[in-house]
Amino acid sequence: MAERVFITGIGMVTAIGDDVAGNLQNLRLQRSGLGYSSYIDTIYKNVLPVAEVKRSSESLFEMAGIPVREGFTRTTLLGLVAMREALLHAGITDVQSAPTGFINASTVGGMCDTEKLYFDIINPEKTGLFLQYIDTLDCADCTQRIADAVGFSEHIATISTACSSSANALMFGARMIKQGMLPRMVCGGTEALTRFTLNGFNSLKNVDKQFCRPFDQQRTGLNLGEGAAYLVLEGESFVKANNSRILAELTGYCNTNEAFHPTSPSPEGDGAYEAMKAALAMSGRTLEEVTYINVHGTATLNNDVSEGKALERLFGGKVPLFSSTKPFTGHTLAAAGAIEAIFSVLAIQNGLIFPNLNFSEKMEELNITPVTELIEGYPVNNVISNSFGFGGNNASLVISKYEG
Amino acid sequence: MKGKCYIQGMAAISPQPTFEGDIFSAPLVHTDSNLLACIEPDYKPFVPGNSLRRMTRVLKMGLTTALKCLQESGVATPGPIITGTGKGSLQDTERFIKEIEDYKETALNPTPFIQSTYNSVNGLIALQQKCTAYNNTFVHRGFSFENALLDSMMLIQEGEPHTLTGAFEEITAEHFYIKSRIGYWKSESTDSRELYKHLSPGTIAGEGAVFFTLAGTPTQQSYAAISGFKMLYKPVPGKLTATLKNFTTHADLIVTGRNGDSNFEHYYQELDNCFPDTPQLPFKHLCGEYDTAGAFGLWLSAHILKAQQVPQQWFSMFNQLPEHINSILFYNHFYGEQHVMILLERV
Repeated sequence: MAERVFITGIGMVTAIGDDVAGNLQNLRLQRSGLGYSSYIDTIYKNVLPVAEVKRSSESLFEMAGIPVREGFTRTTLLGLVAMREALLHAGITDVQSAPTGFINASTVGGMCDTEKLYFDIINPEKTGLFLQYIDTLDCADCTQRIADAVGFSEHIATISTACSSSANALMFGARMIKQGMLPRMVCGGTEALTRFTLNGFNSLKNVDKQFCRPFDQQRTGLNLGEGAAYLVLEGESFVKANNSRILAELTGYCNTNEAFHPTSPSPEGDGAYEAMKAALAMSGRTLEEVTYINVHGTATLNNDVSEGKALERLFGGKVPLFSSTKPFTGHTLAAAGAIEAIFSVLAIQNGLIFPNLNFSEKMEELNITPVTELIEGYPVNNVISNSFGFGGNNASLVISKYEG
Repeated sequence: MKGKCYIQGMAAISPQPTFEGDIFSAPLVHTDSNLLACIEPDYKPFVPGNSLRRMTRVLKMGLTTALKCLQESGVATPGPIITGTGKGSLQDTERFIKEIEDYKETALNPTPFIQSTYNSVNGLIALQQKCTAYNNTFVHRGFSFENALLDSMMLIQEGEPHTLTGAFEEITAEHFYIKSRIGYWKSESTDSRELYKHLSPGTIAGEGAVFFTLAGTPTQQSYAAISGFKMLYKPVPGKLTATLKNFTTHADLIVTGRNGDSNFEHYYQELDNCFPDTPQLPFKHLCGEYDTAGAFGLWLSAHILKAQQVPQQWFSMFNQLPEHINSILFYNHFYGEQHVMILLERV
C-alpha cells in the first residue's frame, strides 16, 4: 500500500496578499487583486487589467530575506517569499533536517527581467552587470536560486506544462513520496507578469479589457496575474515520526492530454472530464462527496464552455458548488495550480466557499452557474482543483479534509 | 531509483548521421566552428506538409524523432509522453521578443508565442498520435531529460507498460552569442575531433533530439536495461566521489560527458580516480554540449550494449576496449551543477 500524502505547510504571495493570511482575508472580503500594472513596460499598462503583486522588486528582496543583488529576477523573488512562508508554516527551520525534494514550476522563467535587457544582451557594444541576468533566461534559474537560498540539495526539478505546471509539480512530488524516494517534498510554482506573456495572450485575443468574468455569458477573456505558491507534502510515515501538523490530504490527481488542439480545449471538455473523473476515482471519493470545485475558469470563451460541459457530463444534474478564483488573483499560469490548491486547503480548513466575482449572466451553453457570494460555515470535505493548459495538458487534483 | 526499465526503441537527430542508416559504419562529422549543428532529415514522411510549414526547427526535430522512435519500437499509440528540454524553442522565443519590439506590441502573430511554450512538442506528439495519456515536460538544464527519465521509470513502476521519453534542444546563432558572453564556449576555434586535447575554459555547443521507448519488461529487441540512476545537484567537495563509489563498483565501460572545459574537468578527474582501470568513451565531440546532451549519451550507450561494438569512425582515437561489454556506467554533468549517473546493462 502506497503512502498517503499529506499537506503540512503552505506559503504564497499573490495580488491579494503577501502571505496566506493576507490571501484569506481578501478572499473573505471579496476584494479582487485586479488593477493596472506598475511594473511591466507595456503599451497596455492602462488598458489591460492584471493582478500584480503590489510590491516593487526592492521590497520583494526584503520580504525574501536577501540583500538586493543582480541576477535575482522577480520570478525568483516571488518564489522565495512563498517558499519561506511554506517552510516556516510547516515548522521546517532547516530543510536538511530530513531529505526534502523541491519540484518547481515556471512558464517563462526570468523573462520578466530578461525581456528588459534582451536587446543589450544581444548587442556586442553593450556590457555591464546586466550580463549576470543571461542565465535567468531559462526556467531552471529561479528553481536553483530558491533551492540554494533555503538549502535544498536533494532532488530538484522544474516542470513546464503551461497553465497546469504547478498542479503537475504537486503530482510529481506526491508520486515521489508514494514510491518511497523521499519522505518530504516542497512543490508549487512561481510566475511574474511579463510583456512577453501579456502580448502572447493578447495576440490570441484571449485577454479581457475589463475585469475577467468566468462562467459569465458576456465573458471575453482572461486577465493575467502573478504570484507564487508552495505546498509542503509529507508521506504518512514521516508525518507520524515527525509529529507534523496535517492541514489536508492530497487524495487524488490525474494528468491527461486532450490531444485536440495546440491552444484550445475540445468543446465537450473531454480532457477536463477525464482528468476530474480519474482524479476522483483515485481519491476513492464518490461524486456526491465532492463539496466544492475550484475550477480552472479562466473566463476565455473556450475554457469555460469546455470545463462547464465537463462538469455537467461528470456530475449530471448535481454539479457541486463551484467557482473560479481567477477574478481575485488573475491567471497566474505556472503558479495557478499551487495557488488554487492552497485556496482548496483554506476552503477545507475554514469551511468557506469562495465567490466567483464578476458573474451576472448564465452562459447559454450551460445549465449551471458558479457561487457568487461568500459562503461561510460550510463543511468542506473534498475539493477538486482544475488546471488546464496549452498543448492539451490537463490536470486535476483532489484535496480532502484529514479524517485520521 | 529502484527497479529496472528497458530501452525498447530509440531514434536520434544529432550533428552525426544518426537518423537513418548504420551508425557503426557512419562517418564522423566534425567542425572547427565550436558549434555542432544537427543534420536534419527530410521531415515530410513524418509530418504533413501543411503542419510542417508552421513549425519551427526544434518542433520539427522533436516531433519527427518521437515519431521515428515509435515506428522503430512498433508502438502505434504511445502511452505516457514525457520530455525534457532546457531551452525549448529558442527560435520562437527570440522571434516573439523581437516582434513585440518591432511591431510595438500590436498586430502580433501568436504562433511564435504558442510554439515558445516548453510543452508544445509534447502537445504536438499527443495531437498527431491522438494520445490522451499522461503528458509532462521538464525544463531544468542538465536535469531536464533526466527528470523525464525518472518520471518514466516511476510510471513503469506504477504499472504503465511503456512510455515515450525524450529530449530536444536547439542552438541558434543568437543564443550561441549570448552564452559566449558568459564563457560557455571556448574562445579559440577548436577542431571537434581534438576536443579532449584542448583543455581550456568553455566547450563547444551542440544540439539534438533523442527519444526512447521504455518498458517494464525486456524483449528480444531490447537495447539495454537501465538498472541504476542517480542525480546529484551541486555536490559539495567529496560528495561526487562518494556517490560514484556507492553507485556501482564495476562497469565494463564508462561513457562520459567530458567536454574539454577546464573549469569543470575536475569532476571527470574524480570519475577517473574512482575507476582507474575502466576504459572510457567520451561523446561530446559527436553532439557538442547542451542541456539535454545526456539523452544522446544514453542513446549511444544503449547502441553499444546491444551491438557489442562502438561506431569505429567516431572513436578511431580510442582503441583499448573490452571484448564483452555487459555493463556501462554513464556519467555526465552540465557546467558543474547537475550531475547524472546511469548504470546500463546488456539484456
